Amino acid sequence: MKLQDVDVAVIGAGPAGMAAAIKAREAGAERVVIMERAEELGGLLHQCVHNGFGLLYFNQDLTGPEYGHRFIEKVMDTGVKPLLETMVVRLTEDRQIGAVNAREGYITFKPKSIVLAMGCRERSRGALDIPGTRPAGVLTAGTAQRYVNVEGFVPGKKIVILGSGDIGMIMARRLTLEGAQVEAVVEMLPYIGGLIRNEVQCLHDFEIPLFLEHTVTRIHGEDRVRAVTIARVDGRRNPVAGTEKTIACDTLLLSVGLIPENELSVMAGIQLDPVTGGALVDEMRQTTVSGVFAGGNVLHVHDLVDNVSWESELAGESAARFALEGKPQKRGEISIKAGTNIRYIVPQTISGQRDATLYMRVTEPEEMVRIKVGDILTKGVRAVKPSEMLKIELPAETLKKLKEETKEIVVDCEKRGGK
Amino acid sequence: MAQENTFICIGCPLGCEVTLTINKKGDVVGFANNKCKEGEKYVLEEYRNPVRTLTATVLTQSSSQPLLAVRTNKPILKTMLVQSMTVLARARVKAPVKMGDVIVANLLDTGADVVASSNLSS
Repeated sequence: MKLQDVDVAVIGAGPAGMAAAIKAREAGAERVVIMERAEELGGLLHQCVHNGFGLLYFNQDLTGPEYGHRFIEKVMDTGVKPLLETMVVRLTEDRQIGAVNAREGYITFKPKSIVLAMGCRERSRGALDIPGTRPAGVLTAGTAQRYVNVEGFVPGKKIVILGSGDIGMIMARRLTLEGAQVEAVVEMLPYIGGLIRNEVQCLHDFEIPLFLEHTVTRIHGEDRVRAVTIARVDGRRNPVAGTEKTIACDTLLLSVGLIPENELSVMAGIQLDPVTGGALVDEMRQTTVSGVFAGGNVLHVHDLVDNVSWESELAGESAARFALEGKPQKRGEISIKAGTNIRYIVPQTISGQRDATLYMRVTEPEEMVRIKVGDILTKGVRAVKPSEMLKIELPAETLKKLKEETKEIVVDCEKRGGK
Repeated sequence: MAQENTFICIGCPLGCEVTLTINKKGDVVGFANNKCKEGEKYVLEEYRNPVRTLTATVLTQSSSQPLLAVRTNKPILKTMLVQSMTVLARARVKAPVKMGDVIVANLLDTGADVVASSNLSS
């Protein structure tokens, strides 16, 4: 396959990129390449050895490598061409890709369409401004996960974890099983940041102390972390003087959020949503640059890989259609606005002509709510939490209810039986 | 005296803290604080037979891939998790290994096998 003839180029070979590439082939694109800076397909799934993957997509409880394996095989079977150890370093507004690898040096080509599937990276200590010294032993939960599950060493003996995201809780269990002592999981908010099943199966099962409404206020130690000081936070999330408590430990793991990796998107002039940190897209997952689509964690951070796969299939299918039709698709222009207790919604615009899948997160936890999509759809939900993404399907049939001149649809999450 | 046990239900984001009351004979007397029937099923299972799938890694004899990801092929009692790790700590695998290959058969008489959840190529 000559790069000059590529129909669809997918950037990133994690769960998002693999699903997009497979779907692009299935939707009729002949020449699909998947560009990946690592030496194998699969992205971070290799290091996620825990189970809980694929419960929705495959109706089976798989581990990360097992989930990834199914997609890797399908990438090969469908004739997608992987370009491994190849890092995309340049993306322009007219879809020109520049990439480097050790075999060919700098390569450049212009595919008919592109899917962005670069995923996300972890927020690190630098983004938190925790006071104290700069000793060894402060690392992100995902880095620790790689050490423990891939490289083969445990990064510490006495561990404190800041943040109760899913990776943090999963590492609390994993490190405990590998013989380390997890002294505390510290969460600034009044509720955990991850899934409820992880709180129960990773923390409660092993009696790991969870400190809600607390944060780390100081890191101690010269060469190596010796201890951290934690303190209660007030309603404005500021530490409360007099509530400090020092916990001896040799390692501090950070599980404090993920950031979509959009340097290439910005380079191409793609507009980002300040809330999600990902591109503004319509229901085809087309960005503001014609012929460039996006799916998975590069678009917004997901909690379940199953949704990453589904969303990226949408992006892959749209990219194939764009490549085959050879003319720009009209972007959706009806904006979807976050209303009461909604933090964000992807996609941000829809055309109103095709089926649309909305992914959204709430701002505050709430029980017994009703999700209202303008006046065309309402759906009762028993409980909502910021950490658990909501998915609402808007079939084209339902969208026919929209009035001709509709410019905006507001989505609200309201308490049921209120007023 | 009846005995009370509390469980957090993982069935939905509500995470109800359900109280299960057991009488002296060990019979279930009642449930409290659950907001749906599903919660009762989960809590009863967690009381009688709390099981988990164990996922971990074992050492390989390959320098390029020092670890192989493994899992139990069915859930085991959660009280067996820590002890099971001592068995896995002694395991060494040699390439090639294919996903699904049995690494430890009938782990600690639980009836579950530890199987490879990734490949190890030679």
